[in-house]
Amino acid sequence: MAPADITNEVKTSGLRGRGGAGFATGIKWSFIKRDAPGPKYVVVNADESEPGTAKDRYILENSPHMVVEGILIAAYAVGANQAWVYIRGEYDEPYRMLTEAIEEARAKGYIGPKPMGKDYPLDIRLYRGHGAYICGEETALLESLEGKRAQPRSRPPFPAVKGAWGRPTLLNNVETLATVPAIINMGGAAYAKLGTDKSPGTRLLTVSGNVRKPGVYEVEFGKTFRHVIMDLAGGPPEGRKVKVFWPGGSSAPVLPESMLDVTTDAEALAAARSMAGSGGVIVMDDTHCVVKAAHRLLQFYAYESCGKCTPCRIGQDWAVRTYERILANEGSQIELDTLQRVSDGLQNGRCLCGLGDSGGWVIDSTLRHFREEYEDHALRHECNVGKVMANA
Amino acid sequence: MPDINLTIDGKPVTVPAGTLIVEAAKTVGIEIPVFCYHHKLDPVGACRLCLVDFSPGPPRPQTACTTPVAEGMVVRTQSAMAVQARADILEFELANHPLDCPVCDKGGECPLQDFTFRHGYPTSRIDGPRLHFKKPIPLSEKIALDRERCVLCYRCTRYYDEIAWEQELTTDQRGVRSFITSQFDQPLQSIFSGNIIDLCPVGALTSRVWRFESRPWDMTHSETICSRCSVGCNVTQWQRRGQLVRVTSRENDDIDEGWICDRGRFEYTDVNDPARVRAPLIAGRKSTWADAVNAIAAGIQRKGAKLGISLPQDITNEEAYLFRRLLDGPLKGAKVKMHGRTAIPAPAGETMRIKEIDDARVIVVVASDIENDVPIIDLRVKKAVSKRGARLIVVNPESVDLDRHPETVHIRHAKGAAAAEVRKLASHDLLKNAGGPVAILFGDGHGSEDMSELASACGALAAQVGGKEMPLYRATNERGALAAGVAGWDSLDGVQAILSWGPPPAAGLPRSAKFIAAWDHLPRTAYETAVVLPATTFAERQGSYTNVEGTVQFLRPPIAIQPPLKEGWEVLCELGAALGLTLDYPGIFPIQRELAGKVPALAKVAQPPSPEPEPPLVLVGPAHP
Amino acid sequence: MLDEIKELPAKYPQPRSAVMPALDLAQEELGHLTPEAMSEVASALDLDPGYVEGVATFYSLFHHRPIGKHRFYVCTNLSCMLRGAGEIVDHLKQQIGVSSSEQVSPDGLFSFEEVECLGACEYAPMMRLDHRFHYDLSPEKIDTLIADRKRLLPTGGEVSAKPTEGQAPPVKKPRAPRKKKDA
Repeated sequence: MAPADITNEVKTSGLRGRGGAGFATGIKWSFIKRDAPGPKYVVVNADESEPGTAKDRYILENSPHMVVEGILIAAYAVGANQAWVYIRGEYDEPYRMLTEAIEEARAKGYIGPKPMGKDYPLDIRLYRGHGAYICGEETALLESLEGKRAQPRSRPPFPAVKGAWGRPTLLNNVETLATVPAIINMGGAAYAKLGTDKSPGTRLLTVSGNVRKPGVYEVEFGKTFRHVIMDLAGGPPEGRKVKVFWPGGSSAPVLPESMLDVTTDAEALAAARSMAGSGGVIVMDDTHCVVKAAHRLLQFYAYESCGKCTPCRIGQDWAVRTYERILANEGSQIELDTLQRVSDGLQNGRCLCGLGDSGGWVIDSTLRHFREEYEDHALRHECNVGKVMANA
Repeated sequence: MPDINLTIDGKPVTVPAGTLIVEAAKTVGIEIPVFCYHHKLDPVGACRLCLVDFSPGPPRPQTACTTPVAEGMVVRTQSAMAVQARADILEFELANHPLDCPVCDKGGECPLQDFTFRHGYPTSRIDGPRLHFKKPIPLSEKIALDRERCVLCYRCTRYYDEIAWEQELTTDQRGVRSFITSQFDQPLQSIFSGNIIDLCPVGALTSRVWRFESRPWDMTHSETICSRCSVGCNVTQWQRRGQLVRVTSRENDDIDEGWICDRGRFEYTDVNDPARVRAPLIAGRKSTWADAVNAIAAGIQRKGAKLGISLPQDITNEEAYLFRRLLDGPLKGAKVKMHGRTAIPAPAGETMRIKEIDDARVIVVVASDIENDVPIIDLRVKKAVSKRGARLIVVNPESVDLDRHPETVHIRHAKGAAAAEVRKLASHDLLKNAGGPVAILFGDGHGSEDMSELASACGALAAQVGGKEMPLYRATNERGALAAGVAGWDSLDGVQAILSWGPPPAAGLPRSAKFIAAWDHLPRTAYETAVVLPATTFAERQGSYTNVEGTVQFLRPPIAIQPPLKEGWEVLCELGAALGLTLDYPGIFPIQRELAGKVPALAKVAQPPSPEPEPPLVLVGPAHP
Repeated sequence: MLDEIKELPAKYPQPRSAVMPALDLAQEELGHLTPEAMSEVASALDLDPGYVEGVATFYSLFHHRPIGKHRFYVCTNLSCMLRGAGEIVDHLKQQIGVSSSEQVSPDGLFSFEEVECLGACEYAPMMRLDHRFHYDLSPEKIDTLIADRKRLLPTGGEVSAKPTEGQAPPVKKPRAPRKKKDA
């Protein structure tokens, strides 16, 4: 297959990035000018750190060869001779597995100076992260790969033009690339028949939290979350009810139990004012408090904010302190208004990258669906959940 | 560059392609507030204060500091979306700000204050505890850092990295806990550190030299020229009650691009020294001007080569010219030594301009540690390399700070062998195919090089590779003194009388001198028996300097001369009269006109100083969203 | 170590990328990064110490004060919190005798840190210890892990590579069989 045919096949498949943003993969590939002189890179985003998401770890531990194959195909399609896998530092086992898989590929002659006899030198190397959620953001990842503080870059220029070390760079998520070999094998059109029209294919959903069978499940787009949570993952423990779930990692706006019949495709989730995100489905049952959960997530976003842009740096921390006052029974209408204000200030293009919006969505969506719980805490200084969490 | 047409708030704007929206708005007097954006630094889009909305574009506010203009673009800075976005950002900035404006040196000239008035919410909606840091922290002897006031715009660290090529100033930690710090809390070393005070858009970085001295509106200021070296950086000097209280940079893109070094910024406190000599002194006793001038005339006349004249590096063109006349007349034969000058011979004609360094493809720096010799030219070279891709060749026996760039080619040689190395350079790979202008900057190796050899080697190289030379004179007005013919290089050893114009030479006054006359602003132990005339400082004096590239620039002193102090040229006229030479000028302008006629290289002195630069357009935004 | 660090820059398209691998080596040897260590890394890589400091303090896996020989990185993010990570942390603190992430147990063996999501949410509550993940934690498992490490102390030996009970993850549909390292 010629490189352009590969890209076209991926375009036909309708594959969308599995990292969180859901950008059309084939289109992304076609942004790289294959014939431009000088080095080009494929950089694999294996910095999985979205809360509630474990699919990339699962793939790297269990099918690292699939990832290697996807990388080779992508590199060939965009004209890169060097691929870098940026893998999060805490992933010791996935790192070992992937290293081994690459070595095997090297031994078999799939990568090297003349992979499979073709005069197309290709190499894959690994770069370990050192603990920063922001590195999941593609330009922050590039900064980190270049040995800098991982603060996102202002775009344009986009990585396809000026990416790693100033060179044109294709950035894809592990799961995205692991899906590519199947697409090439079965053909883009056949893959596109899976799932829904606009969200074709399958994806790995990590189901965690208050379910009986947490795990990583491959699910065709278009199934309901009721199927995923209640059937596949076995539903909440005996005697409890699902209260709320995060459909696509902690950054995806929450949906209440009443919306369990929303389907997993991006379009249905957008209509429900949420998003498919990273496919991390976090389920919380009725023994837990939404305000405390939101507080915990805002702590996360505040801790992981890189500090580059004002709204995220200040806003996430401001929200945490407001939650603290509310949970310390010092809240009032003022704190509720502050939360809404901070949430608005974090969203809608105010921040340099998506991390800011994510914190805003947690506040916004929990306030929208669970205003009463907030008011219980802030105005009446009580928690309406029977069991108060010990670790809140 | 083709021009682009767009509208901003309904006003038509035409600017070159590639212009950022924030810059385009300035041309029509529309203020888009910024913290992180600075026109000399690469845009980063960090502070988010410049949010505007435009069509065609996404339905969200966008940063005006990172978006270039496009044909037909419609920019709205006053739409509800943009106005609220900026007000929200300001509110976030203030959420942790200590609001200690009453004790903050930035108060009154603080963009955070101004923007809050013009773009913020009318009332504070913030309550609750704020973040605290230990404050203030000394970053060096000269600079204090207040982390609570910091808005983390990263101008200071970016300046350090992009412009000064240093990383001793850095950001520690991340998120809301991140803070600016010097490396491992060690004092800043860079000679360029003070610029971060001017860059800081809040009161986080303040001068420790000028601390709690004055509100900006209680000072007057004057657009003048720095006297510390031959670059002639444009500066603003601020005075209050006859004291020089602050020196700040003033952008002149031909010369300094808005940067000054720490010598120019902080070394001014002698102006305010309470011990200043304020009256003529004969052997330590106050005297009248007439008695003192006559005593000097009596002590130095008809001494011929037994008289030594020491001239300061910052002698003005006008004083230099009057000395020329004295040396042609009553003081003929005296030995003259200009202190701080290099051994570089006078230029044959026009030399390379500082701004031409920008376009050089290859820059050769020979026998000069330009960081210390001509600091701001060092920054210009760095800019050409890191922002415009020039290649750099350093010919020096020692390491220099330009070596920080990984691609710098450093040719080390034995002291005195620079000329030989330069003669080999024409065949260097970089110079064989320079691909554009070549700049050859050469110093004198602080006396270690044979200057006629080196100058001719550099001239030959320039001819071979099609480059231009820039001799790096060090003394403030070395070129002016050279043109006037008073930049002497004589040894003063053995003279019987000495006239020391300005502070005594660093090596001290010659012991052989029985008679000492000085024009100085501070008392010295060597003046016990001397005749001392009270001198003006650079902050009081009239006149002009000719800088390293030959540009004549005029001093505009911020402090009025307090009698009995007199202008240097007046003193020289009186001295001339006492020596029997009529130097009768009613003011400095006639001297300048005469000098311009007599010394062609200084013809520009006759062109009166341009009027003070116009104050920036007053930009008024909406009171409140 | 410094020789090893000096070889790093050549491995990357631009030498700066070597800064984190170099800091890794330094931390591996010293346990944590001191200003002196960072300065040495800087000079070995021809960088300013301030640059290295800025990078080293950004990332949470670089430590700037002494840590125990074994550090428990316990996830307390949402998925783990919902399954009792709080109790695990409380129990751990009690067992190793420290109350904050900045302390080290008196014997110098243990310290802990509450960390953000480690990407093994289906095994919550979980943690990272000695370069491997430990799943489905319970107070009893914590006790075993601590006891194992205390037992190994006198010989100075490393922790047994044999997975202790509970570390092998339960296989769930549609997971493929776990690849064995020695296979």
